Amino acid sequence: MEGKVIVITSGKGGVGKTTATSCIGAALALEGKRVAIVDMDIGLRNLDVVMGLENRIVFNIVDVVLERCKISQAAIRDRRIENLFLIPASQSDNKDVLTTSGVERVADQLRKEFDFIIMDSPAGIERGFENSIVGANEAIVICTPDVSAVRDADRVIGLLYSRSLTPKLIVNRIEPARVERGEMLSHEDVLEVLSIDLAGLVPMDEHVLISSNTGTPLVLQNESTAGQAFKRIARRLNGEADLPVQVPVCKMSMWNKISRTFGLKR
Amino acid sequence: MLSISRLLRRFTGQKASKDTAKKRLQFSLIYDKLELNDTTLTDLQKDIVAVISNYFEINKDSLELKVKRDDNVTALVFNTPILQLKRKRA
Ligand SMILES: Nc1ncnc2c1ncn2[C@@H]1O[C@H](COP(=O)(O)OP(=O)(O)OP(=O)(O)O)[C@@H](O)[C@H]1O
Ligand SMILES: [Mg+2]
Repeated sequence: MEGKVIVITSGKGGVGKTTATSCIGAALALEGKRVAIVDMDIGLRNLDVVMGLENRIVFNIVDVVLERCKISQAAIRDRRIENLFLIPASQSDNKDVLTTSGVERVADQLRKEFDFIIMDSPAGIERGFENSIVGANEAIVICTPDVSAVRDADRVIGLLYSRSLTPKLIVNRIEPARVERGEMLSHEDVLEVLSIDLAGLVPMDEHVLISSNTGTPLVLQNESTAGQAFKRIARRLNGEADLPVQVPVCKMSMWNKISRTFGLKR
Repeated sequence: MLSISRLLRRFTGQKASKDTAKKRLQFSLIYDKLELNDTTLTDLQKDIVAVISNYFEINKDSLELKVKRDDNVTALVFNTPILQLKRKRA
């Protein structure tokens, strides 16, 4: 059976594409799938450091597309999680070295060798974005609950529709306490504005930064709420479509809530 | 669930900033989609000139096409001096 290429994209930068790609890829591999994670952010590679594989890069995705090496030579095997591979971006090239036809050819080859191929798209809607969506079977749009990220998500959703992709949405960096206080858009607000199906909800979580400091997989940390949320997203992508979406809740004590409400505490 | 802070807002009549965020978003998404790009405008202009030229003689260089925005409406304004009526050939 052929594998599936899933692109993770956002329009706005810094909303969590790379984090989501590494977590969803790792979680799918933990589910027993053969997974390739591809960094399409040419010239600004990051997935390698987030995954802690930066010391093992030999070839990259540009080498593969330009036929300077085989996929098996560029794919770095993760030694902590079985069946997880990273194809890094090139750091020296410019985004224009890739052609859409070249990327499409490589996507076809990848589908033959892997169950899931997760592509980390660059920010923006230019050439690099086009290249990362051209080979995709499915798309996930990620945004944070703020006005500019949601607006950019809307633009990207429109562009994906025009390429016959029906994306699903991840809302990342949700802070339940602030949603509760009416300071942050709730996921219901975001969904209503964008009218799109949900892939999942991910809370703000300190473990994300800590695990990217050390390059260790977030999904292996049971105490990471974001890691667990990404695991559920992966299960949904892996056939458990009916797995309910968990809404992040605040772990604040009742007393803290009361005192905060009355301005006794910040 | 009605939280304490929501209850308090209801009492004080204070508006949550996220409600403002949502309104602004809904508004800007509609506006973003109304925005015409340059090629669309040029194409439109060509088509309009072609249609009007069937009935009037116009100066093709002195016409202008603009998108005008008001508080609640967006209008297309097409401005051209008419030189003369075209005679319909029988
Ligand atoms: N759920 C989360 N909780 C806390 N921090 C997060 C969360 N998601 C992402 N971050 C942090 O936000 C920052 C940006 O994340 P990331 O690099 O994944 O975004 P990106 O969309 O790939 O950015 P770029 O557009 O630059 O490629 C990182 O420092 C990351 O650690
Ligand atoms: Mg990134």
